[in-house]
Amino acid sequence: MASKTVNQALSPAALARKKRALQARLSPDQKIYLAKRQTASFGMNLITFLLIIGLCFVILYPFIQLVPTVLSAVEDLGNPNVIWIPEKFSTVSFQAAARMTMPEGIMTMVKSLGFALVIMAIQVFISTMTGYTMARVKYRFSGLLFVLVALCFLVPRQSLLLAQYIYFNHFDALGILRIFGVEWNLINQPATLYMMALLGFGVNQSLFVLIFSQFFKNIPRELEEAALIDGCGFYRTYFRIMLPNAVPAIVTVAILAFVWNYGDTYYTRYFDPTGPYMASKLATTFIDANKVTLLERVRVWYGVPVTSDMTFDALKQAGILIFLAPLLVLYLFAQRWLVENLESSGLVG
Amino acid sequence: MKPIRIGYSTQRKLLGFTFLIPFLLGFLMFFALPLVNTVVYSFNFITVDDMGVMKLDPVGVQNYIDLFTVEVSTQSQQILRVLVDENTNMLVNMPLITLFSLFLALLANRQFRGRSIVRMIFFLPIILGLDVVTDMLTLTTGSEGVVAGGGLFAQSLVVRLLVRYTSIPTMYLTPIIQFVENIFSIISRSGVQTLVFLAALQSISPSMYEVAKIEGATAYETFWKVTIPSILHILLFVVIYTIVDLFLTSQIAQEAYSFAFEKNKIGIGSALSVVYILNVLLVLGLFLLLTRKAVSKHGK
Repeated sequence: MASKTVNQALSPAALARKKRALQARLSPDQKIYLAKRQTASFGMNLITFLLIIGLCFVILYPFIQLVPTVLSAVEDLGNPNVIWIPEKFSTVSFQAAARMTMPEGIMTMVKSLGFALVIMAIQVFISTMTGYTMARVKYRFSGLLFVLVALCFLVPRQSLLLAQYIYFNHFDALGILRIFGVEWNLINQPATLYMMALLGFGVNQSLFVLIFSQFFKNIPRELEEAALIDGCGFYRTYFRIMLPNAVPAIVTVAILAFVWNYGDTYYTRYFDPTGPYMASKLATTFIDANKVTLLERVRVWYGVPVTSDMTFDALKQAGILIFLAPLLVLYLFAQRWLVENLESSGLVG
Repeated sequence: MKPIRIGYSTQRKLLGFTFLIPFLLGFLMFFALPLVNTVVYSFNFITVDDMGVMKLDPVGVQNYIDLFTVEVSTQSQQILRVLVDENTNMLVNMPLITLFSLFLALLANRQFRGRSIVRMIFFLPIILGLDVVTDMLTLTTGSEGVVAGGGLFAQSLVVRLLVRYTSIPTMYLTPIIQFVENIFSIISRSGVQTLVFLAALQSISPSMYEVAKIEGATAYETFWKVTIPSILHILLFVVIYTIVDLFLTSQIAQEAYSFAFEKNKIGIGSALSVVYILNVLLVLGLFLLLTRKAVSKHGK
C-alpha cells in the first residue's frame, strides 16, 4: 500500500527512469525470473478474461437469442434465412403477450409488483424478529427451535400444499373459530398469502429466518449490554440498535424475497388463483392445452394469416420478457447494494 | 401486597417469546397440522361429497401399495421410475451446480476491471432461475424439452473435431457434451449459491493469504489449504440448499398435484407426498452422515 502511494507521487517520466535504473542492476537470472512471472501472470489473466467473457455469454445467451424471435413479424418466424436480424420488425408478439398476461393492462403488473413488495416487507419484518430471538435469547428449547426452523426449510413446500389447501378450505384457526361456530374458506383470498407471510411461512421464509439468526449471532454482545446499561428495554434495543445494524442482511434478504415472491407460482396459484399475479398468470396462460385458443386469438386480433408452434414460442418468450422487465430494471439498481453489502450480510455464519 | 418481581433473564425470555409467537403459530397451522394431516390422509381413502365435506375411510397401507403397483405418472411411467429418475438427476446435478457456482464465485472474487458488471451478470441467475422463467423458456418446437440455446454445442465445430480427430472414446465424450448442452439448466439453478460462495470468499481474512504467500505456498496449495477449509461449512450449506432446491423443482411435486387435483385421488397424492418428504430427508441425512467427519475436523 505504502509503495503505491509513493509511486503515485512520482511523475510517469521519473517512474520510468527509476524502473530502468532498477532493471539495469538485475542479474540475468533475476531477469529471466521476472520475465517468467510476467508471462505467467499475463497468461493467467488472459485465461480468466476469456473464461469470464465466455460465462457471461452463456448466461446471457438465451436472452440474446430471444430478441430476434420476439421482434420479428409473426409470419417471418421459422424463416431459415433469418437468424439474428428479422426481415420485418414487428411488436405483434409483444402486444399479444401483454394482452394475454395482463388483463387489466399495466395495472396487473403494478399490482403484482405491489403484492411482492408488501409480502417482502412482512417477511423481512417477521423473519428478523424470529431470527433475533433464536440467536440472542437463550431458552431451554432453543436447540429444538433451530431444528424446527431447519425442518421447515428442508421439507419441500409442495408436499404440504395439498393438506394446506384442504385446511384453508375449512379454516378454523386451530379450533378457535370453531368455538364460535364459524369456518372460513380462505381459498381465493389474497389475505391467505399475507397471513402466511405474517406467521412466518411465506415463500422460503424459514431460510430467511435462518440467515437472520446466523447474522444476529455474530453481532457483538457488548452492543446489547451497552444498550441495557443506557436504559433500553428489550424492544427498544431490538428496534433502535439491532435492526439498524442488520441492514446489510436485510438488503440481501429483501432482494431475494422480492424476486421469489414476484416469481412465485405455487402459493399464488393454489391459494389465490384469480388474483393479479404475473407469474401465475404466465404459468397458467402459456400451457400447451391453451395453444390452439391463444393462436386463434392472435389471428383474430392482429389479422395474422398463419400461425404455428413458432408463434406460440414467440408469445411465450415475449411474455417472459414482459414479466422480467421490471425485475431487471430493479435489479440494475439493487445489485449495487447486493454486492456492496455482501461482505457484511452475514450470509455466512 | 408485594409486587411480583421478575428477574432480568426471565423478563427477557418472556419479551423474546412475543417475537416467536407468529412463527410458532404459523408452525402449528401451516406446518405441523398439514404434515400430520398428510400422513393421516395417506392411510385413508378419501371421498369429497357435494358440500365439500371430506369422508375418510381407513385403508391401511393400501394407498402406498397402489402408488407403487397400480398408479402411473402423467407421463404413464411407474412412480418408482419417477422417483429413481429424480434422485439420479439430483445426484448428477448437485455436484455440478455446487462446483459451477464455486467456480463462478472464485472468478467474481478476483480483482479486475469491470468486476461489478461481471458480478451483476453472475448473479442474474437468481432472477433467471425462477421456475416460471425456466418453464417458459422450454420451447415447443424442436425436440422435446430443449431450452433455448441448447442443441447448439452438439452440432458445433469443436464437437465434430473432437469426435473425428481425437481418439477420445465416445463413452467419455457423451457425458461431457451433455453437460455442456445442459449448462443453462445448471446456470439457472446456481444464482443463490454463487452469492453465498462469494460472501464466504470475501469473509476470509486477507492475512491468511498473506501468511500463505510468505510461507511460499503456491496458488494451488493456497486454494486447498486456505480457501477450501475456510468455506467448508458454507460448502455444506450450499450442498444442502442445492438438494432442497432440486427436489423443490422435481417432477414428484407435479405428480402429487395431479393425483390430488386432477385425478381426485387425495389419499394417493398424500402417500406420494409422504414418500417425497421421506426421500428428501433420507438423502439429506445420508449426505450429512457422510460429511460429518470432514466437517467436524475442519468446520467451526
